Amino acid sequence: MTEMKIALVGNPNVGKSTIFNQLTGLRQKAGNYPGVTVERKTGTFTHQQVKYQLIDLPGAYGIHPSSLDEEVVYRVLADPQNSNYPEKVVVIGDPFNLKRSVLLYQQIREMGLPAIFVINMIDEAERAGLVIDVQQLEKVLATKVLLTDARAGKGIDELRAALQHQPGEYATAFDIPEEYTASVAQTKQITGARNNYNAWLTLSQKHHRYLPADQADELATLRKDQGINYHRLQIQETLARYTKLDQQLATAVKDTTKKRENATARLDRLLIHPFWGYVIFFALLLLIFQAIYTWSGPFMDAIDSGFAWLAASTSELLPAGPFNGLITDGIITGIGGIVIFIPQIAILFIFISLMEESGYMSRVVYLMDRWLKPFGLSGKSAVPLMSGAACAIPAVMSARTIENDKERLITILVTPFMTCSARLPIYIIIIGLVIPQTKFMGLDLQGLVLFGMYVLGVVAALGSAWVLKQVMKTSYKSYLILEMPTYKYPVVRNVLYNVWDKTMGFVLGAGKIILAISVILWVLGSFGISERFTNAEEIVRMENPGIDEEAFENRVQSERLEYSFLGSMGRAIEPLIEPLGYDWKMGIGLISSFAAREVFVSTMATVYSLGGTDDELTIRERMGAEINQNTGWPAYNFASGISLLLFYAFAMQCMSTIAIVRKETNSWKWTFIQLAFMTGFAYLAALLAYQMLK
Amino acid sequence: MSQHRSIASLSPGETGTIAGYRSNDIPIKVYEMGLLPGEVFTLTHRLPFNGPVCIRVKNNPNSIALRATEADLILIEST
Repeated sequence: MTEMKIALVGNPNVGKSTIFNQLTGLRQKAGNYPGVTVERKTGTFTHQQVKYQLIDLPGAYGIHPSSLDEEVVYRVLADPQNSNYPEKVVVIGDPFNLKRSVLLYQQIREMGLPAIFVINMIDEAERAGLVIDVQQLEKVLATKVLLTDARAGKGIDELRAALQHQPGEYATAFDIPEEYTASVAQTKQITGARNNYNAWLTLSQKHHRYLPADQADELATLRKDQGINYHRLQIQETLARYTKLDQQLATAVKDTTKKRENATARLDRLLIHPFWGYVIFFALLLLIFQAIYTWSGPFMDAIDSGFAWLAASTSELLPAGPFNGLITDGIITGIGGIVIFIPQIAILFIFISLMEESGYMSRVVYLMDRWLKPFGLSGKSAVPLMSGAACAIPAVMSARTIENDKERLITILVTPFMTCSARLPIYIIIIGLVIPQTKFMGLDLQGLVLFGMYVLGVVAALGSAWVLKQVMKTSYKSYLILEMPTYKYPVVRNVLYNVWDKTMGFVLGAGKIILAISVILWVLGSFGISERFTNAEEIVRMENPGIDEEAFENRVQSERLEYSFLGSMGRAIEPLIEPLGYDWKMGIGLISSFAAREVFVSTMATVYSLGGTDDELTIRERMGAEINQNTGWPAYNFASGISLLLFYAFAMQCMSTIAIVRKETNSWKWTFIQLAFMTGFAYLAALLAYQMLK
Repeated sequence: MSQHRSIASLSPGETGTIAGYRSNDIPIKVYEMGLLPGEVFTLTHRLPFNGPVCIRVKNNPNSIALRATEADLILIEST
């Protein structure tokens, strides 16, 4: 069977991912482009004996990159050595911005790539009275032109069949201006570009970081000697193309209607109203957080007691011994600690993808820009910050759409302060233990405290952004030019794919860490070399003469835990965390959750179940019953609970985030500054809270 | 401010025609988005405190949001 690599390219908001989902279905996966952490979506499908590998490139307005996202598009398409270099490109355009899409199409053809052209959202065009002369357009573009309505699945079969189409001879639509022909020829010599247009693109690029250092140096010298302003070149090309396109497309598209008052304009009157727009946005946020808290409750309870039951019955089924302990206390408890997050994460991603799919997210950018700008951020930071409410890892990655370097760096550095879903289980359990279940002004008090924790995350993020803005002194130019598409009913399929993708990404990615740590914890907690560990039974017998059999068993268990490897680690850091109101058992949780916050709850479950004999208790009941051995109070009382909430609100307890920040900023310096700042601040806040409340 | 009027000087509901740019140093995005001389547009929304503006190019259902600073770089024909 022959194989073929196809790239999907198009402006943002043209329905590119809907087409991608239609073509590939569930045979898709997300990964990264080599060297950069821009998300790469690929999928496969087979049609008439050909196996197609589809790459969904990030949205771009033109081939000249003005963000990291667009740079990926350029690099994949410009370099035949690139592992993602396609054999054919499908350029997707929208009928109302045909010129803009054709511009991108021309650039791709002139780079030497065969391409076909798809006009999506044809249903909207028909409703608006646009008439597209496909034959005329095919003549202008010298390729096959297809009309699709991807949301309804119309035209997808035709698109599949057209992938084998061999485009006709293409005449270049842009002649390199005479004053630059010499420089272009020189560039061609330096880089060995395939044709003049590719050399022109190299010459008009802002960054040359993908080129070998010697070539980049030569180019820099060339540009300096010839006094070439790359920005001018880009503008010159774009203007020249548009001028020509105006004539060429004049006959291809006919607009038969005069006036167009659409539903989007009516909705926008309310949704981006200077006052009501904000009211609606914040009401929506409040609704989302109430939903996460209340809707996930029953699912979480069911999962929690389900796993407790599973552990107990497995324990009975298997012969007693270390293997039994590994399965029940280590693995089953560990998996339970992962699965319990699924309801909240899924609910959050349902809302986030609904906002993206419907077109509301770009309104959020518009509404928030004025208020984020003073903090050194842009309206586009709103998306990473909001996604940070799910998980900092994709959120940090989504900052790549921010064009300005400084705004992007600040966004990356402060996003981990946002309340990610990994903090949620800790918050929910601690709030459930230390905040009374009453109503406050008709709202659930626990839900309000949870909302307060989210507000705290936002305040911490903005506050540190403001500090960073003062510290980072680079003079920079920042702008916001943002397209706001028409509102659309979200495609259920797209939402479900997205929710599935993100949830599974979490379960498999974070799950692996959690499971591994659970097993390691179990090993460290079940073995030890000290005298008090190996001879626990005799020592307990000696210190407590006449103790009854059940109490004896419990004492032995907790004695063993205290003097196991794990217990030694916890006790080693106890002096440091005692002022925060924690005991050595919680210290174990802090150590292990440095890998990932969510590990805290499952660690505490493992630690407390290792120290007891009753397997039927749920995680919550175990934590509620635990007594801090230093103070004699419940381990999770009001003061230590608040202290713990604050610690997890601010501390950089996530190795994956550290790794992604290092990758995205390409700087150890900023990564360490972020780590030290966050964890130091967390320690101080927790210390202050506990000392004042106890 | 020069004597030329820019997008930033319009009120919601007002229509204008792009005439040119205040400087050569404006983002390539402006060109790529098709905000070129001769385009007719309506300013549909403004946010308070010198916030961004929202314009809609004629016969295009999508809107484009611009910060006040960018809006002031794009000049309109005087009517």
